Amino acid sequence: MNMEQYSILGRIGEGAHGIVFKAKHIETGETVALKKVALRRLEDGIPNQALREIKALQEIEDNQHVVKLKDVFPHGTGFVLVFDFMLSDLSEVIRNSQRPLTPAQVKGYMMMLLKGVAFLHHNNVMHRDLKPANLLISSSGHLKIADFGLARLLSEQSDRLYSHQVATRWYRAPELLYGARKYDEGVDLWAVGCIFGELLNSSPLFPGENDIEQLCCVLRVLGTPTQDSWPDIVELPDYNKITFKENPAIPLEEIVPDTSPQAIDLLYKFLVYPSKQRCSASQALLHPYFFTSPLPAHHSELPIPQRGGRPPRQRLQAPPTDFSVDLPLQDSVVDPALLQEHASCL
Amino acid sequence: MFHNSSHRKFWVFKSEDEVELLRYEANQKFCKKILESGKSGLSESMFLSRHEEDTLFRHYEKRLVDFCNAFKPAMPRSVVGTATMYFRRFYLNNSLMEYHPRIIMLTCAYLSCKVDEFNVSSSQFVGNLVQESPAGQERVLEQILEYELLLIQQLNFHLVVHNPYRPMEGLLIDLKTRLPTLENPEILRKSADDFLTQAAMTDVGLLFSPSQIALTAIMNSASRAGLNMESYLTECLGMKEDKETLSKMFDSMRRMKTLLKKYELPKSEEVNIYKQKLERIHAEFATSSSNKRKRGYEEDGHVAKEPRLVEEEWTDEDLI
Repeated sequence: MNMEQYSILGRIGEGAHGIVFKAKHIETGETVALKKVALRRLEDGIPNQALREIKALQEIEDNQHVVKLKDVFPHGTGFVLVFDFMLSDLSEVIRNSQRPLTPAQVKGYMMMLLKGVAFLHHNNVMHRDLKPANLLISSSGHLKIADFGLARLLSEQSDRLYSHQVATRWYRAPELLYGARKYDEGVDLWAVGCIFGELLNSSPLFPGENDIEQLCCVLRVLGTPTQDSWPDIVELPDYNKITFKENPAIPLEEIVPDTSPQAIDLLYKFLVYPSKQRCSASQALLHPYFFTSPLPAHHSELPIPQRGGRPPRQRLQAPPTDFSVDLPLQDSVVDPALLQEHASCL
Repeated sequence: MFHNSSHRKFWVFKSEDEVELLRYEANQKFCKKILESGKSGLSESMFLSRHEEDTLFRHYEKRLVDFCNAFKPAMPRSVVGTATMYFRRFYLNNSLMEYHPRIIMLTCAYLSCKVDEFNVSSSQFVGNLVQESPAGQERVLEQILEYELLLIQQLNFHLVVHNPYRPMEGLLIDLKTRLPTLENPEILRKSADDFLTQAAMTDVGLLFSPSQIALTAIMNSASRAGLNMESYLTECLGMKEDKETLSKMFDSMRRMKTLLKKYELPKSEEVNIYKQKLERIHAEFATSSSNKRKRGYEEDGHVAKEPRLVEEEWTDEDLI
């Protein structure tokens, strides 16, 4: 396995530990993303984040909503991770939508996000850095969770660089803002809540400019935490270092206006102080929100913006599918006999 | 989960023979490569035989374990277990003659610390080479970092190793709750622990799943204490109706015990002779691999590092 199998088509972005290229696998013609991790001048060798990403991706099985590590091979002074190429990411979708996402579209994204998160948590993988920029969008409109602790896919425009780096903070759970050293998958669920709010509002829910302000943003909406609302807070390292003026919570209906009661109810389940009380991803998928009209949009009904901030291309026609209304039905259905031996589990 | 892990999929082998065959092939591959290089004055007797290579392997593996056990701050067992497993996996497909075990063993320990999130800085790590001067430690570190990528590649980027220590804790808890006839399961711990320590120095980890190893450790400990725990297998683990699984399990247990019994520490006289042979081989032939690495730097368009100090500048007598 080596680099000669690929021809580089261009540069997608740059992260803390390497550059991401768009490339073609020569043999199959498949377009892929190559993440090059260089190891020069790193006094501790291969960075922990890179090891974590490889660890996580090697041990989990395929899931529709998690990027697949297709291959990994050494190259020069470092190594290269090979992923499916993805057209865009959710932050571009939010930023570039000409009109706000429809409730059905938001629901569609949330369902895919939660399926991916549920899968990861089931496999004991905590992502720890969920944010719209790490949720990639495929050419078919599928959302896939990416960036397991490694490079961030950044925009080519240099002025974006900074805001992206800042962005991570916006999704940081309150226990982390209070300096928690030990935490659980609740940090991902908090981020899911923030992403949910951002999809609904088309703007970030808690856009803090620095760590202190980040906490202010959260406290302003959720109300100052008390020992009743958050018993564990007293044990957090930075709890005594900062005190805030007491203020009551603002109802989420005011923060995310014009939103269905079910959406608000689900949002409340993620944005709670005690991590353990946050709704798990698999539970959330059973929430009435997903079963009331409008139903979650099919991935073919979701916008697919191009990288680099061009206006979104609303698909003119549905993507090719395996069936067509013009064909006789029996041509497009699978012969039940073929399924029989696999259907024993049903 | 072990079930869908890379460990289970790629690193559990069918039989003792399969594992030995891989090592034999690695040994032959190296000899063939050198013999075909057309250098004059080569003869097969210059190379390490499988027996000699195996003796040295066990010697360096023991050094690795000793290094880890003396490590400060104390290294958790799972880190040590992962390091030794890396070492075993590495030399399944590589000959000791190709890559010197002295540096590979330290690289295994270093990578294992990082993968298992036992966070020590690189200088802290080489600081444990107490016999080395600060400059010597610096040199070793440079080598570790140079070999890290090779190691991770030879491990096929499969970094997660499932050790038998957690399954053993689980089994002890299970015994406490479900086998009330056993008064104090904790008495089994000491000898079961020893079993796992010894097992780590054999191929057991390449042939059996961690839970089977842990179960064998417990059962073995029980039989040494004169306790019959077969009812635990039949009643609690549900093998009563499944004679086939039960007999397979007994067979696995026997194979593990045989592997442990067969293990012996290499004799130092033997080690010293083979070591000289190994050093000679490395002095004469191993340069090719380091050239390859250096070429890698240049291909990438980066300036090659300062020519490294040759490995022979520090001997493993200085290590521990």
